[in-house]
Amino acid sequence: MKLYDCIVSSHNEVAPGYFRLVLKDKELAELSQPGQFIMLEVTNTYEPFLRRPMSIERIFSDSISILYKVVGKGTKLLSTISIGEIINVQGPLGNSFPIDPNVKEYLLVGGGIGIAPFPALAEKIIRTHGGNIQVIIGAKNHPQVLCERDFREMGCKVYVATEDGSYGEKGLVTDILENLNINSPVTVYTCGPIRMIKKVHQICEQRDWVCYASLEANMACGIGVCLGCVVPVKFVVENEMMARVCKEGPIFDTRVIQWEKI
Amino acid sequence: MPVSLKVKIANLVLKNPVTVASGTFGYGEEFAEYFDISKLGAVTVKSLTLKPRLGNTPPRIVETPAGMLNAIGLQNVGIERYIKEKLPFLREKGCTIIANIYGTTIEEYCSLAQILEKENGADAIEINLSCPNVHDARAQSKCPLIAQSPEWVEKYTSSVREKTSLPLIVKLTPNVTSIIEPALSAEKGGADAVSLVNTFLGMSIDAQTRRPKLKNIVGGLSGPCIKPIALRMVWEVSRAVKIPVIGMGGICNAEDAIEFLIAGARMIAVGSYNFRDPYAPVRVLEGIERYCVDNGIEDINELIGSLIIEE
Repeated sequence: MKLYDCIVSSHNEVAPGYFRLVLKDKELAELSQPGQFIMLEVTNTYEPFLRRPMSIERIFSDSISILYKVVGKGTKLLSTISIGEIINVQGPLGNSFPIDPNVKEYLLVGGGIGIAPFPALAEKIIRTHGGNIQVIIGAKNHPQVLCERDFREMGCKVYVATEDGSYGEKGLVTDILENLNINSPVTVYTCGPIRMIKKVHQICEQRDWVCYASLEANMACGIGVCLGCVVPVKFVVENEMMARVCKEGPIFDTRVIQWEKI
Repeated sequence: MPVSLKVKIANLVLKNPVTVASGTFGYGEEFAEYFDISKLGAVTVKSLTLKPRLGNTPPRIVETPAGMLNAIGLQNVGIERYIKEKLPFLREKGCTIIANIYGTTIEEYCSLAQILEKENGADAIEINLSCPNVHDARAQSKCPLIAQSPEWVEKYTSSVREKTSLPLIVKLTPNVTSIIEPALSAEKGGADAVSLVNTFLGMSIDAQTRRPKLKNIVGGLSGPCIKPIALRMVWEVSRAVKIPVIGMGGICNAEDAIEFLIAGARMIAVGSYNFRDPYAPVRVLEGIERYCVDNGIEDINELIGSLIIEE
């Protein structure tokens, strides 16, 4: 783990309020795994004070990309950065998505900006294991549907749910998930609002599907020392603990999360 | 001529005046992936308690202008696992260790100090009488924090003093009318140094939902936003007590650290800024050394308390 001064090689608004940022650094790209995240320094002043945690969206030979939504002053500042400028990046951080080589069916469920870590995962599955990948993308409306073309180009089967029904099916990703029939062993990966993840977990539990979630949390350090980003879990070895989203996570088997405490 | 950065607290000689604030550096392992942590004057570890603590319910942190609020609630592995799992690493690295301890009673502080001394678990002990995010002290001292009651500061300090010969540091809260009183009480109780400041009680509200942003409602404010107040308190205390002062509060770079040294701090600690830049403590150390070279200072002790006030 190090800090990298990355050159911004591309920066586009891919949907209203959503941006894709490509950061160039060969070593960072080589170390990165799908599911991991980076901490971006969006200013060299103290305002905002902390770095911003971002999921890695795609991993290329000498660069990585992130996909982010403008929500506050940090991301607003980030959105003004131009190609050629330098951003300090800490990472890659956290664990990565486990992939069971015996499973041939993969289901990726992303709500809103929660789709961000999945393009890299889909690419890795295709490259290293093969198998069928189905993706369920959820968004408020049609313009906010992210990464649909990327997944289709990779050969994934894509479903879209929009809350206002302006594209795909009207409803939530979990509505589509509930009606999906897969009879062979499947691994589900999910990311998005915590209530959505909980619902995905419940559906998976009923069907005995293994489900991994990428969690989000307020985070100060990203390396496991501030203990700000914890989530209550129950591992087999330890009765109960507060696991750090940045260190033990961000990917958790949803069965270890103490949902009643969230 | 090389610069001497050595400073002394009681009989403990530290190779330089730079340490880290408890709770911002874990037990050193994560930072050792970035730099040689034995370069620091001392590593101050996260508060240790007799039994492991789970800490508070999240959300535990929220960013604020030029700083942050935290309400971690002393989540830690407990003294036993510290000795078994964390200490060997710090010893192997050759670090000077300041162990921060927290107890819910005087007896717990005493036990922790005795265990640390017996197990060679620390080179100095910092007693945390000032955590704003746990609510154990109220019943005894009638104050939310022990460090708010000069009488109780003296009582706690002298009790632990009797049980250990290790250098004893008392960490004070800034959430008082005058921080000089509890500092004098710590000195009277036999402390070898006082460290200040812990965090300032603060609060943040989501205007849209009308709910507090922290589950604990209130939390401790840290970061560059508190630096001027912390600096003023360090200056006040270092003029009032004879024992060394360890200064902290919003230190982000060498210039900040040097201001604290000039104000009278014999050591300084980098706190929340470690979250932003894991190299911060070592950058501060290098900057202090460069400042001394540039200004012809041969011994860092010449700089400590050297504030010039024009008549």
